[in-house]
Amino acid sequence: MFDKVEAFYRPANVREALRLLQSGKGQARVVAGGTDVVVEGDDSVRYLIDITHAGLSYIRRRGTASVIGATTTMAELEASDAMQALAGGLLSRAARWCGSALVRNLATLGGNMANGSPAADMATPLLVLDASVVMVNARSRHKLPLAEYLAGARTKRHARSLLVEVVVPEPPNGKGCRWSFQKLGRTAVDISLVNVAAGLQLDSRGRVKWARIALGAVAPAPMRASGAEQRMKGRILDQALLAEIGAEVAREVSPISDARASAEYRREISSVLTRRALEECSAHVGCSL
Amino acid sequence: MNGDRAGQSRDRQGAVSRLVVGRNVRKVDGVKLVTGGAAFTDDVHIPGMLHGKILPSPHAHARIRRIDTSKAKALAGVHAVLTYKDVPRVPHTTAGQAWPEPSPHDTYLLDSKVRFVGDRVAAVAAESRAIAERALKLIEVEYEILPAVLDMEQAMAAGAPVIHDEPDSTKIYDRQRNIAGYILREIGSVEQGFAEADHIFERQYRTQRQQHCPIEPHVTICWLDADARLVIRTSTQVPYHCRRQVAMILQIPVSRVHVVKPRIGGGFGGKQEMLLEDICGALALASRRPVKIEYTREEEFYMARSRHPQILRMKMGVKRDGTVVASQLTVLATTGAYGSHSTTVQGNTGSKVLPLYRAAHMRFECHVVYTNAPVAGAFRGYGCPQGFFAQETLVDEIACELGMDPMDFHRNNVIRLGDTDLLSAQLGEGKEGLPRLVRSCGLPQCMESAARAIGWTQKRKSLPNGHSHLRRGVGMACTMQGSGIAGVDWASAFLKMNEDGSFFLQVGASDVGAGADTVLSQIAAETLGVTLDKVIITSGDTDITPFDVGAYASSTTIISGGAVKKAAARVRSQVLELASKMLDAPVDQLDCANNEIFTTCACRKSVSMTDLAMQAMYKEKLQIMDGASHFNTDSPPPFCATFAEVEVDTETGQVRVVHLATAVDPGTAINPMQAEGQVEGAVAQGLGYALTEELLLDAAGRPVNPNFLDYKMFGAQDMPKLTTILVETDEPLGPYGAKSISEVPINGPAPAIANAIFHAVGVRIRKLPIRPEDVLRALHAERPANLEEELLTQ
Ligand SMILES: Cc1cc2nc3c(=O)[nH]c(=O)nc-3n(C[C@H](O)[C@H](O)[C@H](O)COP(=O)(O)OP(=O)(O)OC[C@H]3O[C@@H](n4cnc5c(N)ncnc54)[C@H](O)[C@@H]3O)c2cc1C
Repeated sequence: MFDKVEAFYRPANVREALRLLQSGKGQARVVAGGTDVVVEGDDSVRYLIDITHAGLSYIRRRGTASVIGATTTMAELEASDAMQALAGGLLSRAARWCGSALVRNLATLGGNMANGSPAADMATPLLVLDASVVMVNARSRHKLPLAEYLAGARTKRHARSLLVEVVVPEPPNGKGCRWSFQKLGRTAVDISLVNVAAGLQLDSRGRVKWARIALGAVAPAPMRASGAEQRMKGRILDQALLAEIGAEVAREVSPISDARASAEYRREISSVLTRRALEECSAHVGCSL
Repeated sequence: MNGDRAGQSRDRQGAVSRLVVGRNVRKVDGVKLVTGGAAFTDDVHIPGMLHGKILPSPHAHARIRRIDTSKAKALAGVHAVLTYKDVPRVPHTTAGQAWPEPSPHDTYLLDSKVRFVGDRVAAVAAESRAIAERALKLIEVEYEILPAVLDMEQAMAAGAPVIHDEPDSTKIYDRQRNIAGYILREIGSVEQGFAEADHIFERQYRTQRQQHCPIEPHVTICWLDADARLVIRTSTQVPYHCRRQVAMILQIPVSRVHVVKPRIGGGFGGKQEMLLEDICGALALASRRPVKIEYTREEEFYMARSRHPQILRMKMGVKRDGTVVASQLTVLATTGAYGSHSTTVQGNTGSKVLPLYRAAHMRFECHVVYTNAPVAGAFRGYGCPQGFFAQETLVDEIACELGMDPMDFHRNNVIRLGDTDLLSAQLGEGKEGLPRLVRSCGLPQCMESAARAIGWTQKRKSLPNGHSHLRRGVGMACTMQGSGIAGVDWASAFLKMNEDGSFFLQVGASDVGAGADTVLSQIAAETLGVTLDKVIITSGDTDITPFDVGAYASSTTIISGGAVKKAAARVRSQVLELASKMLDAPVDQLDCANNEIFTTCACRKSVSMTDLAMQAMYKEKLQIMDGASHFNTDSPPPFCATFAEVEVDTETGQVRVVHLATAVDPGTAINPMQAEGQVEGAVAQGLGYALTEELLLDAAGRPVNPNFLDYKMFGAQDMPKLTTILVETDEPLGPYGAKSISEVPINGPAPAIANAIFHAVGVRIRKLPIRPEDVLRALHAERPANLEEELLTQ
């Protein structure tokens, strides 16, 4: 593992990190918490660039948006008052599901996104929250929707860029608004077999005004169940609709079979967890399910 | 530690006067372990030490057509490269068993044929691990890839590739059909038994490949000492077998080999194996430098050993009232590419499992086949977890079919005090065995106390299941094991007195972390009448300590403990003889305790161990010392009852174990706290076996999940509430009444959980591990559609 590594850098700011990344000529690798990078142990890597001292560990408000620095750890997301207040604490709650306490002390939000795993536990809640990521390279700084980023996180396109922060716009709020994160693993510390995040806003008459459903580990990248979301608009959330949504979600996902679970199982669990997520959301808003 | 230690010494004569045995003393090696002292194999650095590395076969079955090591040898920092051309060809088994080993001699230090992905192709020793790895890449190998057989059901078929076609292997049952071993034993006549039965039940079960996952992978350091003797410092359960086998394989005299077993970070049977010692020794001899080989976690998964997967067909005939009249178990098992422990593990699947029931007619038949898969071997439970999964699940099914409480079914049918198990007489360690007489049996009490802990009576009747998708259920299983291999396992111990009244205790026994050093010291201290700090133990060093077969078959406490007790009794008489002279009192009026020898008569004279020791050494010119050997002709069974409460999620198939109660009869618990620790450890491995652990292979025989992210053991957060109960009995054949404890509790969780799942949701799972998706599929299949709908709409 890492037998070819010649140098380990710890840049003090983003500019320095980018310069090192540039001069690494494709053989440099960014390390944040290292909980994916070290497990992967890519033998082609010659330079490691530790960005945890580059000033990217923060949780701030910018206007109405929340901004989370890339090297903010899962443990910090769990403990942050701001995160516990945002969208019913959805991000804090999801962070608590990531690995063990030891892993959460190291694992970062940026690493979770940049690693590009379809099972990344923070991706689905961030998709539900319509988050964007801010990417920086030697020439530019630009913001792009998370879904777009996740589709190509590990491609050449982002190879010489740093993900510097995640931007979460002000989510719909008020009494009719609830959130849920559901995960199924084989043991307490496990990569998701399936994970689901959902957000729901009901109008005063109990009809769905706004809905988000995102699923992980059931497609090449974490995905939104847009068809299911569409179907819910303007309708009363009852058992019939839940069954319909469950079926729709099962159609939308495209899981694979691997050592952890079969595709059929993941498909079935996608609808079960989606239903549970929506039930959790509606239970909170006093819906009569 | 919430055991209610039912039936403990209370009512046992003489127990009150015990000062060391039966007490929760601290582990004698505890401090150095928790303070990170230089305790384990890899905690030392030998100057000039090289790193050894094995080139694993990338193919499941291939012949090496050409192998060129010249580039690897030329690499700077490489000191030795070995292939089959460079080493002696000695057929052997890696199973660490007593000579003559009952396992097939089908393995070679290095061979021109590879038989599974991970088999040895070559080995190098170099100045760093990185250089060693680079050297492996420089070895050029031309393989003739042979067709492989991975499915055990196809291994015996006509036209299947012959895995051991080499002529020099021995003890293979039928090499043309890939059969490593075959067993057929019958007591009475099952044909007659089934004819007498009112009901016959027959089911098929499947069990998986589980890996030991010791926290310390296999590691060996070899060097030549100043006298050019080969020193092997190694993580082994069997230092003496290892010495004998390495000497034979490397063709050097036993006297030129010195095996040292330091502290071991868990063996679980995986280290009852001569695994790295031969190749590491060969590299040290070739390079004339110290060499270390340590498996990575990935290598440990597929290049070490695992539990034999089996397909079991279990058939039982019962009377209308539930009396078992006949039982028959037919097993197909695979040993992987080599036959390590092949017939002995599988023999246990019959001999330790079927006799739990008092059927007059029993039949056990088993084929153990070779496949091009990682090698199976010894693993805690040694064939019993597979057998008990089948038997105890079938028994539950029978009881339910007959409308009986499974507890009652067990009460009526299980083996009792005074019974003789005749199957064991037919099925010994690879040969005829010896009959087993049950001289101590706490099984009824185990059942009652574990049932009480789980709330059996009430929960079998009504559980608060309501309409929720979460459904609870309770299930049970009874199991047994042995304590040492009757007539085979033996041990010895030696004791000598020091000037300060302390004693050196030397035993060949191998503490693998389970606490043998502590228990053996307790037995010595109790017998000698000294406090525990006066016993200094050295174990598992073939130059210093006398012979012991090693740590396996749940033998150490009963067999090595028996040797220690005998040796200590002899030394004690030497002490008393001298004391008799010093105190001018007859020996039969002397006793010793708390480091003092005193008269038992009214005169109350005494002398301290220290004064006596000084007298012996400087006045009498006498070294007080003695040794003893010990073996048993019977293997007293420890008994265990496991009760589980589970919660099944009917929408996801997930099974959560809520509470697991285990009651064990270990005879006397020499150290109750350690005994409970062994139960809890066994249960944790049993839970993983039941629900999550399985080493998977792809279609080419490559391991799919050789790491802890993909292979899931139970972690601390996954553990259910545990209740551990010791039901102590007094075993006449054991030192201070002890039998064994470390293996038997691993057998119960899988069947108890499967039975609890049936109680909760009405489906029978007959395949391990019980994965959520298997439960869900069974629920879909067995549940009528209307009930399904009803649940959905609730
Ligand atoms: C035992 C264990 C359990 C785990 N359990 C879970 C779990 O339950 N759920 C889950 O989602 N994950 C889990 N993981 C995976 C891992 O912990 C997470 O994905 C984690 O968030 C990765 O963050 P990191 O900071 O450690 O990333 P690193 O390993 O440092 O980096 C991951 C990848 O992202 C790149 N990278 C990191 N930061 C940036 C950046 N700012 N810009 C550009 N590229 C970057 C790296 O080059 C690398 O390719 C587990 C891992 C382990 C070892």
